[in-house]
Amino acid sequence: MSMIEFHDVNKYFGKFQALKNINLTVDRGEVVTIIGPSGSGKSTLLRCINGLERITSGQLIVNDFDLADKKTDMNRIRKNVGMVFQHFNLYANKNVLQNVTLGPDLVLKRDKAEVEQEARDLLKMVGLESKADSFPGELSGGQQQRVAIARSLAMKPKAILFDEPTSALDPEMIGDVLDVMQKIAENGMTMVVVTHEMGFARHVGNRIVFMDDGKILVDSSNVNQFFDDPQEPRAKEFISKIINH
Amino acid sequence: MWSILTNNWNALLSGLGYTLAASILALIGSLIIGTLFALMEISPFKALRIIGRIYVEVVRNIPLLVITLAFYVIVPRFIIKIDGFTAGTIGLLIYTSAFIAETVRAGIEAVPSGQMEGARSIGMSYTQAMRQIIFPQAFKIVIPPLGNQFINLVKNSSVLAFVAGFDLMYQGKLIAATTFSTFDTYLIVGVLYLILTMPLSYLMRYLEKKWVTA
Repeated sequence: MSMIEFHDVNKYFGKFQALKNINLTVDRGEVVTIIGPSGSGKSTLLRCINGLERITSGQLIVNDFDLADKKTDMNRIRKNVGMVFQHFNLYANKNVLQNVTLGPDLVLKRDKAEVEQEARDLLKMVGLESKADSFPGELSGGQQQRVAIARSLAMKPKAILFDEPTSALDPEMIGDVLDVMQKIAENGMTMVVVTHEMGFARHVGNRIVFMDDGKILVDSSNVNQFFDDPQEPRAKEFISKIINH
Repeated sequence: MWSILTNNWNALLSGLGYTLAASILALIGSLIIGTLFALMEISPFKALRIIGRIYVEVVRNIPLLVITLAFYVIVPRFIIKIDGFTAGTIGLLIYTSAFIAETVRAGIEAVPSGQMEGARSIGMSYTQAMRQIIFPQAFKIVIPPLGNQFINLVKNSSVLAFVAGFDLMYQGKLIAATTFSTFDTYLIVGVLYLILTMPLSYLMRYLEKKWVTA
């Protein structure tokens, strides 16, 4: 059963073509890692999945909704597809608990007491139950990112997209965030992760996608082989660069 | 000087009252209209953005006196009879609203774009995201420049004097013309304006301390 399907998707920003003829299927429960040089279209691809960017042509089916159809309610897609950003994007005017409860309260209109209990459980899961009353500005980057993950999980989404979740973090903060992501993956969440964390891609990912210049050059379930012995020349060049720097 | 104050106390007090009334009405009105045009300027719809932009650019680039005279001369002749106080207050309101629109727009745009994306990504509508996330943050940013606009508004209300608006400046003009004590009269008028604007200044500073640093 597929969760996300790209069929011949193109995306233009003005004259610039950010995505070129993308075909990709993500099944439910799959963890797909996307890597590639900057400007290759990884983030754009991710942002299309929850409608932050609209595709120019082709077909994109997410959770059985057609995103190219103008009648599709984007807010309904986004309720079911969470997103974790590179720069966290926590609500600066709300405390940690409110950041997590706002979605279920306002968008899902669920019972407040129940939502708060769940939010506290989620904060516990990401190891931040003691920070419930803090504001985002008072937390470290790694802590903010874990709150952002809890905020996303609070909506009980069918899939979560991660857009370079550890790229803005200090090295020692990265481990905590990756641990939380691994936990979520083990619970069967469908995940699409744009990252350069090769450890995560190898040990948690079921599949690897390599992008360059708006195109998918590699889409492989053999993650270890992709890193150890890449066949595609552009992927080979990229991997040698990130390993030998 | 003391005699000018005591002999014309009633006229000055009434002028102060008219100035205060015009300022409060124009302040509330321009805040509402200015915010509406700010929302139009940042709207996802191009037509609304263009209308907002035209309004702001036309209104803020015409002198206050010209706008006020337009309401005093043209509106009564062709549309509806209004007195000087009404024409002056409307002119002041319209003129100030363009500056408030620009202030509020800049405040909203100063909130990082990630805040809107974070809100939309969990399924909030544009209106929900604006109300819950963007406005509260923009509000804090906007308080200090908004204070400037409010103080300017109170001082600009002296434009009512040109259209027989019975405000403080109008009474000052009358008193100066009848007593020939131009210097003393305008000194008193100046002090009375300070009495209006200084508390406003301090109020804005207080709000700034209370909300901006929180």
